[in-house]
Amino acid sequence: MVGTIKNNNIFGVFDDEDVFLSAMRSMEETGIRIKNVFTPYPIPEVFRIMGLKTRMPYAAFIYATIGVILTYAFLYWTSVIDYPVIIGGKPTNTLSFVIILFVMTINIGIVMSLVTFFIIQKLGPGKSARIVHKGITDDKYVIVIEKTKEMSKEDSQRINYTLFEYGAIEVGEKEHVENI
Amino acid sequence: MYNTKVRGVLVEGNKSYADITRDIIEPIESKVPDWWKYAFIISIGALLFGVWASYITISEGIGTWGLNNSVAWGWGIINFVWWIGIGHAGTAFSIFLLIVRQKWRTSINRAAEAMTVFAVLCAGLFPLIHMGRIWMAFYIMPYPNTRGPIWVNFNSPLFWDVVAISTYLMASAVFWYVGMIPDFATIRDKTASKIRKAIYGFLSFGWVGSARGWLRFEALAMILGGLTAPLVISVHSIVAMDFATSVMPGWHTTVFPPYFVIGAIFSGFSMVLTLMIIIRTVYKYQSYVTDSHINAIAKILVFISLIMGTAYSTEIFIAWYSGSEYEYYTFFNNRISGDYTIAFYGMIICNAIIPQLFWFKKIRKNIILVFIISLFVNLGMWFERYVIVVTSLSKDYLPSNWSTYTPTVVEIGVYVGTLGLFICGVLLFLKFIPMIAIHEVKGILKPTSNGRYHKK
Repeated sequence: MVGTIKNNNIFGVFDDEDVFLSAMRSMEETGIRIKNVFTPYPIPEVFRIMGLKTRMPYAAFIYATIGVILTYAFLYWTSVIDYPVIIGGKPTNTLSFVIILFVMTINIGIVMSLVTFFIIQKLGPGKSARIVHKGITDDKYVIVIEKTKEMSKEDSQRINYTLFEYGAIEVGEKEHVENI
Repeated sequence: MYNTKVRGVLVEGNKSYADITRDIIEPIESKVPDWWKYAFIISIGALLFGVWASYITISEGIGTWGLNNSVAWGWGIINFVWWIGIGHAGTAFSIFLLIVRQKWRTSINRAAEAMTVFAVLCAGLFPLIHMGRIWMAFYIMPYPNTRGPIWVNFNSPLFWDVVAISTYLMASAVFWYVGMIPDFATIRDKTASKIRKAIYGFLSFGWVGSARGWLRFEALAMILGGLTAPLVISVHSIVAMDFATSVMPGWHTTVFPPYFVIGAIFSGFSMVLTLMIIIRTVYKYQSYVTDSHINAIAKILVFISLIMGTAYSTEIFIAWYSGSEYEYYTFFNNRISGDYTIAFYGMIICNAIIPQLFWFKKIRKNIILVFIISLFVNLGMWFERYVIVVTSLSKDYLPSNWSTYTPTVVEIGVYVGTLGLFICGVLLFLKFIPMIAIHEVKGILKPTSNGRYHKK
């Protein structure tokens, strides 16, 4: 399910971090599935409540390993196979490769991690942002709940009511909200 | 994910989240002040001087510099090392303090990273110009060529420099830009101007601040930080090895790599101090860059200054203790006494003695004095590179080779040009980019201040 699929959502806007967090906790407890939340800055508690984890550090480790292997293969091919030059009687497959290996591992690790981030987060130059509420990059916190087909009118009204009850200052509906 | 407890107030003045947004994007939204225009014109003038000097260097050759057979490296290399040193500021601040989870970096890191990017750009110009035939610069890249193909020398510190510095520039720029994406989104959503909305919208890459986005964003910051931190050490170690792997007296020492790395962080921190004092005064950001921030940087500087003093003493001690008469001559007859005493004592006084004043709380609290001392450190670090490059080269093993060195107007022009480029870059940064990381300051507001956080 990606952001481009047509979907309809209910959102609640909060203006206080503590109220917002306790609302999230209560909603999780009552079994209302939170689709996404939007905050102006990272809140570690949000990740805990939603049970979010990322495998990016593992990916970065794999990228760095790929980096070191590729770089060594290149150095070995150029300096030992393709055009070996004996400098001061030293071996062509030399320990001083370690410096370039070190730097290129970092180089390749950074570039691939960055590309991975942009791909999984679906970010890119000029992408138009689908903003649920104008304040999410300023001082508002937004909880989004998807209105599924199975949901009856009463269900969505109950969600609206619950959001207000938990301290939302504004509740509304919005189509096409990303879940990434 | 990366939550740690902090002590003390980092954001003063009872700021709400909305206040932070408004305060930081205010310079972008309002017209440029007069001082900005004058400073910009002056920096463009300096830059044009540098363009002229570079044109003369490239069209006529390195003969227009004051170099000679003995002193084959002059201002070009001095300034290259100086700029690279300053370029260590952003990384030292953002990355080291990020991986050790120091919250006070948040108001300073953006400006420090900007400094890094501009300083490394300035540094990179010198080796390119120094090549003489700049249109042959691509020869330093390992690419399949028609000369064998013969490859570049992968065992040479000069090639390591190419790899390390270009990687460092890329890594710093990436780290800087990624950190700005959420702030560009803030400007996109706040600005009233349609043009700004379009530009910052484009630059913000469609950022919306979702929970998963923030989680991955923080993970990416840690990955970039973790990968770039060892790079900082390696970049300046490699610069040191440009010198240390030669057999020149005064250069051929094992202390050089750590000594250069510490020196670089020293000059970087002092440049951060210089710029942050200007920024907080001119833009009235005392609530974000508080006295305790300045105090913390001053404390770090006094510590690094002690290490610098130790490094200088170690060099002098080893020159005597090793029994090498060439080393002894270089240190005792060509630095402590001889033709270059001004640079040597300038270096000792500015780097090892003056920063010791930061032991006194009264001095750390006096912003004007702190500013002046930070300028002394910048100057002292320039002297240090001058001492290293020029004294060793001017009097080597063979007295018939001895010669003195004075820079020409062309060399000075190239240096002034890079200063112009740097200041020009910083001014554009102050105008068009939020100079304090908005989302990071918001992230630390709650645990580090006792005010209201929300506009009611």
